[in-house]
Amino acid sequence: MARYQITDDDLPFASEFLAEPIGYHSPGLQRVLNRMRGADWDFKYVLVVEERHSKWRLGKLPKQRGAKVEMVDGVVYTDLREAECDIFKRRWSDLTGQDLEALLPHSS
Amino acid sequence: MLPIVGYTNKLTVEPGETIDVMVGSFGAKNYRADFRQIIQGDTNPDGPGYKDKLIDLDLGGDRRALDKPFRPGSCVLIPGVHAIEEVRDFTLAAVVKPTLLDGRKRSILALPGFAEIGIDEHDRLTGVAGGQTLTSTMQVSVDHWHIVSLSYCADTKALSLAIAQDRDSTSEPPCPEVVTVSTDLSSGRPSECIIAASRDDDGELTGFLDGRIDRPAFFDTAIAPETLRNLLADFSLLRRQRSLLGAWDFSRKMTTRMICDVSPYQLHGHIHNAPTRAMTGWLWKGQELDWKLRPDLYSAIHFHSTDMYDAGWEVDFSLTIPDDLKSGVYTVRLVPDSDEEAAYYCVFAVRPPRDRASGNTVAFLFPTCSYLAYANHRLGMDVPGTEIGMGRAVELDRHHMFLQDNPGIGFSVYETHDDDTGVFHSSRLRPIVDMQPKVKSFLGGYGSNIWQFNADTHILGWLDAIDQDYDVITDEDMHEDGLRLLQRYNVILTGTHPEYYTRNMMEAMQGFTDRGGRLMYLGGNGFYWVVSFNEDMPGIMECRRSEAGIRPWEPGHGHFYHGFTGEYGGLWRRNGHPPNHLCGVGMTSQGFDVSEPYVVSPEAENPRAAFIFDGIEGTRIGDFGLAGGGAAGLEVDRADLAQGTPEHALVLATSTRHTDIYLMTPEDLLDPTPDWSGTQADIIRADLTFFETIGGGAVFSTGSIAWAGSMAWNGYDNEIARMTENVLRRFDDKTPFEYPQC
Ligand SMILES: [Fe+2]
Repeated sequence: MARYQITDDDLPFASEFLAEPIGYHSPGLQRVLNRMRGADWDFKYVLVVEERHSKWRLGKLPKQRGAKVEMVDGVVYTDLREAECDIFKRRWSDLTGQDLEALLPHSS
Repeated sequence: MLPIVGYTNKLTVEPGETIDVMVGSFGAKNYRADFRQIIQGDTNPDGPGYKDKLIDLDLGGDRRALDKPFRPGSCVLIPGVHAIEEVRDFTLAAVVKPTLLDGRKRSILALPGFAEIGIDEHDRLTGVAGGQTLTSTMQVSVDHWHIVSLSYCADTKALSLAIAQDRDSTSEPPCPEVVTVSTDLSSGRPSECIIAASRDDDGELTGFLDGRIDRPAFFDTAIAPETLRNLLADFSLLRRQRSLLGAWDFSRKMTTRMICDVSPYQLHGHIHNAPTRAMTGWLWKGQELDWKLRPDLYSAIHFHSTDMYDAGWEVDFSLTIPDDLKSGVYTVRLVPDSDEEAAYYCVFAVRPPRDRASGNTVAFLFPTCSYLAYANHRLGMDVPGTEIGMGRAVELDRHHMFLQDNPGIGFSVYETHDDDTGVFHSSRLRPIVDMQPKVKSFLGGYGSNIWQFNADTHILGWLDAIDQDYDVITDEDMHEDGLRLLQRYNVILTGTHPEYYTRNMMEAMQGFTDRGGRLMYLGGNGFYWVVSFNEDMPGIMECRRSEAGIRPWEPGHGHFYHGFTGEYGGLWRRNGHPPNHLCGVGMTSQGFDVSEPYVVSPEAENPRAAFIFDGIEGTRIGDFGLAGGGAAGLEVDRADLAQGTPEHALVLATSTRHTDIYLMTPEDLLDPTPDWSGTQADIIRADLTFFETIGGGAVFSTGSIAWAGSMAWNGYDNEIARMTENVLRRFDDKTPFEYPQC
């Protein structure tokens, strides 16, 4: 079990991430990302390449080697940053039960 | 998904040589093959564009695509057992330590159709003979060695299964549990003996064990378990037993595929699918850590149901390389059912002729050892931390989905087997689905996100763009031919990530630069791990990651010496050949998100380096690229006198910051404190390094995997490509470099 739990105190880091999902992050945001991307999970969100460099579908990769990747219906991305932001919001909701969009009304 | 995959029997061929192509259908009905030279494999729209060249060579028309399965799982096969006459009384025995118990039936020792010892779905030992099945009450455990036996005595009609767990914790000898039934077995004449597997009704191997087996033996009399234990513990005693029909001492001929019977019958056999030899046995208690000094303690083989050496597919067709074909990277392209998009590329190198030089003075060193190390790797799928290291979600390309569906294809040396022990072997005698152009990866950084072979095509594409004639030679060629081959060239260019080196390769390359050769190391984390080939098993490579290095697993106590050669595994910097000595820099950090420019240092002003900077302006170079947006990144190396960097080496430019995903390598992080990260620690950097060698040679090292992604930026028209070309032009000029006087 990961020790760090995401709370409302992390909302500023969510704003930071949604503004720039790739590259340099503050230590606080890095900790949030480590929690979301680390080993403590039953499945992992993955980007299944539909067309290289232009189109991805969202999938859930189970922990078990060789298990089927479950596709999330209707979720298609044409931009990797957009995909990162969407996955971040999904994980925020998975981990806190809260809708990040509602907490951050001005985020995209 | 991939409807068709294939492989060739070699990764390097010379003109006039014939190469076999094996093709397997995973949905395709038909296919057509053509032959192409690969120029540039990255399909990123921000890159220079995909480019290959059709070679006019008739590979035949449409062919039927045949289903061909992967059959992983290792064992020992002892044929010729029928040479023994009728067997009536018998004992089958072995010492076994399972490493994975997951409800699958496993075989330990089988004389198919006659008798077998195995493990059932409830982890209990089973003995089968004459239609009778005996089952132990005791469960086997992954924590202990077990002495197991199945015996039959016709006089008493007793069929007995015995198991003793050697707990090693008390002075009491292990107390056996014996299960006996009374039965009348007829005599038999087994034809073969299989260790760690059995055969199904169709004759296919099945019931593969994950675990270690030591000293299996076969007698023509029933032997009580107490007696058996002492006999098995002493081969010299064992081989004098007149009842002995076969006893296999795995510590003999350990570096080969041979398995030796120490009985007078000499029922020798061989391993199948390359299980791991030179593993600590039942009697190893830390007395010695090098199997060469006490092979008798290394009498176990570790078998895995996931081992894969040779897929063994039937040959679909062969082609002979035309005599006049120039050296290069080529592919047999398999187009399934006229669907070009779904084409599969069997990539290999056409090397220059063995018996005569091509006349080219520049060679690209096609790093087959590093491709093999990563062959079919599953880092983004099996290792949760990969996403943290990438700083982005994992992309799964079609070949990754194929790997997910077909783990039987066998692993890379980045994976663990299902029992969580490290994969020590990787083989080229199977499809390598990530050694194709176009494919995306996990570790290639934000941008193109390509790795190893496909990333290296940025260099091939650049050579094409500047009209440079070149030969392609492979790691295997360098390993076999040494300096005899390298001496043909003024300049050798590496790929982006030449990480895995055999001793032959290391010594050949060092000899090359020492004697006037010029090395352009266009990558990062190069010359890092020790690997070995096996003289008895072509195409397979071993890597035991002992002691240090960024590594996905440890080999386990007592397993630091390679089984193939006896070499000490691990980092070259612990084996007398630090990469810094060869190329000026050595691995310092990694991160797979974004890359950085280099900042030009005052040492670049040195007149010795003037040719490198010809036409290059400014103090920041490489602030662009297809691999993370900069020339310095992914895996980066530093110059370090303490690690062997020559004192006169010039560090021309350095990256001055990286994200905090970049951390310190374990070999340098002796005392972990939270300040060893990319935004805080100076030591985390790529050093662009140049030095001359005593023999008039020279070395130029980028210390960065991302470098080639910058070379390919803007259609190869940029300062990184320019600098690389400056170096290539001077390096290709035979005029000796002057060794600076101190
Ligand atoms: Fe690597």
